[in-house]
Amino acid sequence: MGTYQLFKKNETYNGLYAMLLVNRLQMLYFFLIMPNILIHPYMIWVLIAVGILSQLNLFLLSKWLLTRLSSNGYNGFVQMFGKKLVRFLSFIGLFFILLKLSVITLGFSQIVQTFMLPATDTNFLVFFILLFCFYVAGKGVEHTIRFVLISFFCTFSMITFFVFFFFPPIAQLSDLYPLIPMEWKVENWKAFFLILSSYSGPEFLVFLGPWLKTNNKTFRYLCYGNALTVVEYVFLFIASLFFFGSNYLSKTQYPIINMSRYFQNPVFERIDMILLSFELFNLVFAVSLFLLLFYGASKIAFGKMSKPTSGKGLLSNVFLIFIGMVLMNELFWKSEEKQTFLLNLQIIAGSISYFLVPLVIVLVMKKEGVKKHAST
Amino acid sequence: MRLHKKICKRLILLFMTFWLSGCAPFTENKLIEEISPVTFLSISKGDKGKLTVSTIMPPLSKEKKFVMSQEVSLLKEGVQKYNLNFYQEMKSGQMRMLVISDELGRDGIMSIINVLLTDPDISPRIYLVIVKGNFDEYLESQLDKDENFDYSFYRMLKHYEEKNQGELTVVNLHEFKNLLYTPYSDPFLPVFKLEEDGVNYEGTALFKDDKLVETISSLDDRIFQLINNDHYLVVLPIQKFEIVLGHVRSKVIVDIDSSYSTMTYTVNIDTRIEEYRGEKQLFDPKQLENMKKDIETHLEKQTHELVKKMQELKVDPLQLGIQTKRPFSKPMEEKKWIEMFEKMDIKIKYNINIDPLTDANSKRQNL
Repeated sequence: MGTYQLFKKNETYNGLYAMLLVNRLQMLYFFLIMPNILIHPYMIWVLIAVGILSQLNLFLLSKWLLTRLSSNGYNGFVQMFGKKLVRFLSFIGLFFILLKLSVITLGFSQIVQTFMLPATDTNFLVFFILLFCFYVAGKGVEHTIRFVLISFFCTFSMITFFVFFFFPPIAQLSDLYPLIPMEWKVENWKAFFLILSSYSGPEFLVFLGPWLKTNNKTFRYLCYGNALTVVEYVFLFIASLFFFGSNYLSKTQYPIINMSRYFQNPVFERIDMILLSFELFNLVFAVSLFLLLFYGASKIAFGKMSKPTSGKGLLSNVFLIFIGMVLMNELFWKSEEKQTFLLNLQIIAGSISYFLVPLVIVLVMKKEGVKKHAST
Repeated sequence: MRLHKKICKRLILLFMTFWLSGCAPFTENKLIEEISPVTFLSISKGDKGKLTVSTIMPPLSKEKKFVMSQEVSLLKEGVQKYNLNFYQEMKSGQMRMLVISDELGRDGIMSIINVLLTDPDISPRIYLVIVKGNFDEYLESQLDKDENFDYSFYRMLKHYEEKNQGELTVVNLHEFKNLLYTPYSDPFLPVFKLEEDGVNYEGTALFKDDKLVETISSLDDRIFQLINNDHYLVVLPIQKFEIVLGHVRSKVIVDIDSSYSTMTYTVNIDTRIEEYRGEKQLFDPKQLENMKKDIETHLEKQTHELVKKMQELKVDPLQLGIQTKRPFSKPMEEKKWIEMFEKMDIKIKYNINIDPLTDANSKRQNL
């Protein structure tokens, strides 16, 4: 298969790509189930508030991206943390990536099974999704990052369909009442962390420093990406409130997809199937990016940095991930109660990683006295 | 090396197309010749708590159609029985209507609604219809005359659903479910009566939770369309005054006082006179004014009776309870609302705006 150069760096991507990366990494799986957990209309404010919090995180992130170290990739991290710590951290990172990968892939394949292929085992679907992702990831980081453009155009346009729910007779203002919380229940905390976790994803940009062209506008683009996510979340949540009403939301498992089933078109009847297929682009993009990160992290963790990257190495990694996913599917995902355990785990892990990664890096940067490199 | 890579890629592509095209052993067989996508199901009460499920088979192929009817205790069991009885497999993806008999409606249809909601093949847009009379027998008698009876029935419902054409109540599964499951509202469905000459629209069935409690018809149903469902009527005949109002548009303003004891329900109507066979000189502004007053009081009285009936039955299809929701206070419990609703003094007020008869005006005055 020739020697692959998975992590080679020929060109850097500008702010637009950074914006799309932030946006698409935040819109993975959770937005499909989110209204089911948020339920109450006043959660709109929490969505917006956490969105602003996420903006702060991105600010820290952009500080790191602006340093020279970030564009050095692995060597930059080694310079900051030391070799041993980097190996240890990437070993921990493996679990975070694996968990995130599994939750989004298993979640999505379960949705596909419910709505499109009810007779198919989800393990097969996972297999096919990973097959696609292996192909994309095999093209290297550069091409995978570029794939975000396709993924964005495939998935963003489907959001616009939901405008339909903002008009009467479906939309009634009273569905949004009460606007302020009258009592704060324990479940609301779960919703809060879910939101926090849904905004996670951009922390992986930390490792993509070498491929991003950074200048003083970078933060602005990251902000745009995040703001777009906030708008999408709020938009979808309000649409689902209009469509189901706050009381029914907790009863429907996949609110967004059930809403898309209500669309009608004289040519296509099952618009939900088409939307789901388009959503697959986003999933494939994210999963391939995470596969590459996983591969990179595993190389660092097991001290194989000196060896060249190869297709075989990636394949064996993908195979390992596949086995891990099938195990998780069989042990956890297929039974509803254990599935919530895995979901909760990801909710917590996502929140932690999004909160800590930029913070820790900036703190270490301060300590080490790393300076901004001259902005271009 | 390059050749090797190319072959590998092609093999992967071939592999994927093969699996994704559905030629896989683990997907459902949906070959069009081998399935019968039914367009409707009719459910009525059978013996001893059982259900009678019937439909027209085969829905697609050009064979002689017949009515297939099964007595089952579970709805989906009916699907299985069809499959065992007929060479094609039944699929519910093309289902457009669910016809429920009114006896079954009186017993409650929650379980049936839940079956429909759980199946991702069944669209949330299927129409729910209540039928009075024996639908199976009617189908049998219709098959000889009109093979596509089911299709024309569906077209009729679809016509009146789109853009709120007025005339009749059309409710789909999603709307019914929302009214059923959200507080401060009760669902309603159209009622059709089977007569010798065909299926006739009778009125609207009001539900308390999932049980049918009352059917409103004629003028009551017209008023219901006007104040709740469509806010539009093509014609509104009022026999008492020998007058027909046309293109009636309404706007409803509901005002509830802070103690929730009185509610003012104002209906503003814009309309014009389409036909008049009475004695009054409607070209005279004064007489027209009198006529307007008469119609207003008549409609107010009728509507008041209708609302009174709803209060007695404790059903709220008008979703009046929603008016108590406020942006900055906790919504009250549904039970409490129903208690209040029962005792509430509801004042109905109509303001009718009739276009003066301009074209014919001068002629009649000269007479």
